[in-house]
Amino acid sequence: MYRRLLPGFSVSEGRMGRFLVTCMALGFFALIVAGVAAAWSTAQNERHTADVGHTYQVEIAINRARVLIEQSETARRGFLLTSDTAYLQSYRTVMAALPAAIGRIATLTADNPGQQSKVSTLRRQIADLEQHRERTISLSVRGDQSAALVQFQQETSIRRMRTVRAVADALIKEEQRLLAIRDAAQQASVRIFYIALICAGLLLVLVAIITLVTLLRYTRELATSRDALRDFADTLEDLVEERTADLSRANEEIQRFAYIVSHDLRSPLVNVMGFTAELEAATGTIGELIDRAEERAPELVTEDVRFAAREDLPEAIRFIRTSTQKMDRLINAILKLSRQGRRVIAAEQLDMTTLVDGIGASLTQQMEQRGTTLTVEQPLPDLFSDRLAIEQIFSNLIENAVKYLDPKRPGRIVVRGKRDGKRIRYEIEDNGRGIAPSDHSRVFDLFRRSGTQDQPGEGIGLAHVRALAYRLGGVIDVASELGHGATFHLTLPATYAEPKTDTRGRLR
Amino acid sequence: MTDHQTVSIIMIEDDEGHARLIEKNIRRAGILNEIQHFTDGTSALEYLFNADKGPGRGGPALVLLDLNLPDMGGIDILARIKGSDGPLKRTPVVVLTTTDDKVEIQRCYDLGCNVYITKPVNYESFAQAIRQLGLFLSVIQVPDAEGHG
Repeated sequence: MYRRLLPGFSVSEGRMGRFLVTCMALGFFALIVAGVAAAWSTAQNERHTADVGHTYQVEIAINRARVLIEQSETARRGFLLTSDTAYLQSYRTVMAALPAAIGRIATLTADNPGQQSKVSTLRRQIADLEQHRERTISLSVRGDQSAALVQFQQETSIRRMRTVRAVADALIKEEQRLLAIRDAAQQASVRIFYIALICAGLLLVLVAIITLVTLLRYTRELATSRDALRDFADTLEDLVEERTADLSRANEEIQRFAYIVSHDLRSPLVNVMGFTAELEAATGTIGELIDRAEERAPELVTEDVRFAAREDLPEAIRFIRTSTQKMDRLINAILKLSRQGRRVIAAEQLDMTTLVDGIGASLTQQMEQRGTTLTVEQPLPDLFSDRLAIEQIFSNLIENAVKYLDPKRPGRIVVRGKRDGKRIRYEIEDNGRGIAPSDHSRVFDLFRRSGTQDQPGEGIGLAHVRALAYRLGGVIDVASELGHGATFHLTLPATYAEPKTDTRGRLR
Repeated sequence: MTDHQTVSIIMIEDDEGHARLIEKNIRRAGILNEIQHFTDGTSALEYLFNADKGPGRGGPALVLLDLNLPDMGGIDILARIKGSDGPLKRTPVVVLTTTDDKVEIQRCYDLGCNVYITKPVNYESFAQAIRQLGLFLSVIQVPDAEGHG
């Protein structure tokens, strides 16, 4: 019902929550992307650095090989010219180091078939060169200095040297070309990294803005709905008061009506009863006349006449009497009820526990006869209301509970109460014979009763209780199942308030 | 009783049945005074105030008044009688009605009603009350209008 009354409170928390979670997920996703990009970029950078180092190592190795070749050539030439063995010694040392230097180049460029083929060319050339050199050196060692020189002049060693140099240059060039490619790749990767970083940053900022805006709007909506809720709570209170006023006005109206009706009904009833009494007196007289007639002139008294005077008339009068007496009781009940409604309510502070205990004490005898216990659950909230009315309500309800017990089990009556805002909700629970659900509203009607009619009563008690409850600005209802006891719920304002509009009219 | 033969009983009662029962029981008590019966307030007031031999002109009288009348409230009639100047003011008024509301009874006495009798539905007690009223009437001293000229 409240939801229907609150069209402005449709801030969907579920949708809101889902949206925020999505935003957060996006934010985390952006962070992860940035992290992955950074890691990737670092890895790229490391590889590039390693590549650069590799290139320099290759270059160093190539240069070392070249230096060795040049040194060996210089040493050979010195030996050929001077035949000094120190040169030969130097040459041998240098040449011994050369294969290792070449091997190093080969190892470093093992992954590049182009460079490998160049290295093998270099090896071949060096092997050629060495062969020639050995020939001239062996001539010189044998002392044939001139032959060695001739040989030296004839040989094409200078050309070979150039080839060796060219091959070495090609090797270095190839390495530098590779380095350039790697540089470009490195730059590209750095660019990609920056792009990813910018994208992630933008996404983060966007998510942050959206989340912030949404949260702000949501907070505003929450504040609005909170205000609306507060207003609504105030309205609700007014609404309850209004309804209560309506109820008590309707109640007063009915009671005034009942008062008038019962009075006006009483008038003809006085006549009916009065003239019935007259009739009875007349019947007596006629009876005497018949008796006398029977004595003196029996032929005048037929069976019909005797029967009419002795049976029909008294019987008719008897029925009229019992009916009018019953009607009088009913009218008196209505009068009592309506008079209750006209009584001036005098509110005072009531100690409910004492009040209920007092009612229990007044019913002790009945309760003992039926083996019933009355329990007052503590704490029982107190009331500021009319003592007489409250006493009548509770004693009627407790008396009913005692009256309509289930003979099959020991009676147990519990009275409890709970404060609910400005109102107090009392419960009078029993384990008696219960009331069929179809009779729940009926039992509060005047002259209506429920279940087996094995107890004396006119069907006034609960009607009276309800009228009193209305009068005090309260309500009463019952929850029960046939055979399983009944619980009467009585809701009363904690403090009795005079109805705003007093429509109680004057008596006629 | 013969001393008060002139005292007339003015019964203002709209219900013919009630009027008849009241009259019967008064007669049963042995009261033979004249009973003037009015079924509405207007004609009753007219008689009370303006009739030649009415209490307004000095005729000794006793008023039996029902509060439920079709044209005006019995309370108004009571107020008019007790609020008037002259002999009518001292005329005893017996209110005889079905209303047994405490507030209502108090109001009638406040206005100057002399006796208030509730019509019970139990006829025997009603008849008893009326008969006792009759006995009461036989000893009651109705003010003599002449004494106040």
